[in-house]
Amino acid sequence: MSREEARRLAKQYGLQQVGVRPTLGSYLKDLWRHKSFLLTMSAADSVARHQNNYLGQLWAVLNPLLLAFAYFLIFGLLLGTGRGVENFVGFLTIGLFTFLYMSAGWNYAAKSLVGNVAMVRALRFPRAILPLSVVLAELLASMPAFLVLVVIALLTGERPQLSWLLFPVAILIVAVTTAGMGLMSARLVHGARDLANLVPIITRMLRYTSGVFFSVATYGDLLVEKYGQQLRPVADALVYQPVAVSLTMVRETLLGEVPMRWETWAFASGWAVLLLTVGIVVFWRGEAGYGRA
Amino acid sequence: MGVPEHSPDAHAQDPTGQQREPGEPTVVVSHLDIIYRVFGAGRARSNKGQDDGDNAEPAALLNRLTQRSRNVGGVRRVHAVKDVSFVARRGESIGIVGRNGSGKSTLLRAVAGLIPPDGGEVWLGGRAALLGVNAALVSQVSGARNVMIGGQALGLTKAQVRERFDEIVDFADIGHFIDLPMSSYSSGMGARLRFAISTAAVPDILVVDEALSAGDAQFRAKAAERVKQLRDQAGTVFMVSHNNNTIRQTCTRVLWLEQGQLVMDGEPNEVLPAYSRAVSGRSQGRARASGGRGRGRGRPRVHASSAAKKRNRRVRPQDRRDGRQPGREADGESQDEQ
Repeated sequence: MSREEARRLAKQYGLQQVGVRPTLGSYLKDLWRHKSFLLTMSAADSVARHQNNYLGQLWAVLNPLLLAFAYFLIFGLLLGTGRGVENFVGFLTIGLFTFLYMSAGWNYAAKSLVGNVAMVRALRFPRAILPLSVVLAELLASMPAFLVLVVIALLTGERPQLSWLLFPVAILIVAVTTAGMGLMSARLVHGARDLANLVPIITRMLRYTSGVFFSVATYGDLLVEKYGQQLRPVADALVYQPVAVSLTMVRETLLGEVPMRWETWAFASGWAVLLLTVGIVVFWRGEAGYGRA
Repeated sequence: MGVPEHSPDAHAQDPTGQQREPGEPTVVVSHLDIIYRVFGAGRARSNKGQDDGDNAEPAALLNRLTQRSRNVGGVRRVHAVKDVSFVARRGESIGIVGRNGSGKSTLLRAVAGLIPPDGGEVWLGGRAALLGVNAALVSQVSGARNVMIGGQALGLTKAQVRERFDEIVDFADIGHFIDLPMSSYSSGMGARLRFAISTAAVPDILVVDEALSAGDAQFRAKAAERVKQLRDQAGTVFMVSHNNNTIRQTCTRVLWLEQGQLVMDGEPNEVLPAYSRAVSGRSQGRARASGGRGRGRGRPRVHASSAAKKRNRRVRPQDRRDGRQPGREADGESQDEQ
């Protein structure tokens, strides 16, 4: 049987070729059909996250709190990076918890295909479920920490205002950004798994440049003051890169001293839409090859 | 392109599932090649069907040097399935035989659409599902959650899985363990639950990978009964088994794989004796696969004679060094011989 004969036979009986990429439209539809599977996977995954401890899910709160305490000691008290910030505890915890969510979601998503080869080779489903479900799982696992942020804001003297209602919206935008980054890197890491080694390094760099424990806006202004107007693009890039602008957006909802700016929200949502779109397309283009040994 | 509907009379003709007239094609496999990239595999010393034959000990250094040029980084390529072509039809029950590492499971997974081909094409009519105890689930969470995950991955809705939940748990017979993480299960319990989950839905094309070897004797009997039911409902069935009796009882056609190549494709009473002869012959000295004389219904066929010749030209030190494995299998086969 030649290749052409086989093809003709298959077409004659309406068989569908496997291992070929579906159209983007049908892929998205397929993904939508699997939404409850996505939720089930995410819930299972988030429960599994802190299961091997006596304190269990309590660690979802304890862990970031302890880390925040360490950061406060180092950056707040020892290095004094909190200059120009009144409520540094609130500023730091919001930045840190949001960043921890983004970095964890991104890191898990990047390895979600390579790490679940057994599942990919056993069950058929749109593979985008894997990176999406870990990002969602991480969001569910981070919920207690995000609630703690509201408590901390109250304890540190922030007064509840209407902008607090936007806090969940901001978290959702952050999640979409993370999902986009995750989808993209999942495909890249599947293609060349060595790239997985770069993910923690990039994460580390983002941690120190995205204003987790200092104000990027203040720092950017300092740069311009010191070296002149030609550094304005650098300062803007610092402020408006996806991670930094995400942290700022979340802070704007809870911290009274960080005023709401439309630019922040425009950039953060813009990044979210852009990264998710690019992420889905990039991931979908590789769909035919996932599970290949 | 529409997926053909399951024709109701395809399996209604004969409740035993045997001697059903093959219907229209449901699986077309055309010149399929699958190459594994094995990471961190180091130097060549494997008896998996790779196309660069292993050399004897004195040539080890040379071997190492030549291997290095072929392998980028720590990656080795294993050609697991080579140029396999066949057409499966509705109502057929196809057994796949071959020694360990001959590419049976890989071929099965490719037929189920789970491993994308490196070359060639696979066409399916309808939904294929792999039934196997190795179907991976999330080991850190409870069995109950895994039932939901597995059931939905098989294409059932949440409501459908809930409906069948008790049935699945009863079949797996794991009692209160259903609420504990699967990592706490014994290997038999895990296998039983995975089997129960994977049989919860009836696919158009059923692919069974040694599922009958799971659990204790009692469960095996139950599993065999379940597979039989599924087989009667599914359109086309593929199964891997090392037990020739199982194949003879349940299959209408047998594919014999050897080092990733299709050696023979025909009726069980034609292929199985030839396969047994080849395996027992190999354990005594050099094997010579008998020719593919099967009468085909216009099926593609790889001629055994040429494939066997090609194979025999290669020196395979593994076979001689470790005669235990082929020998053990041959023992199993000789009991099967009439």
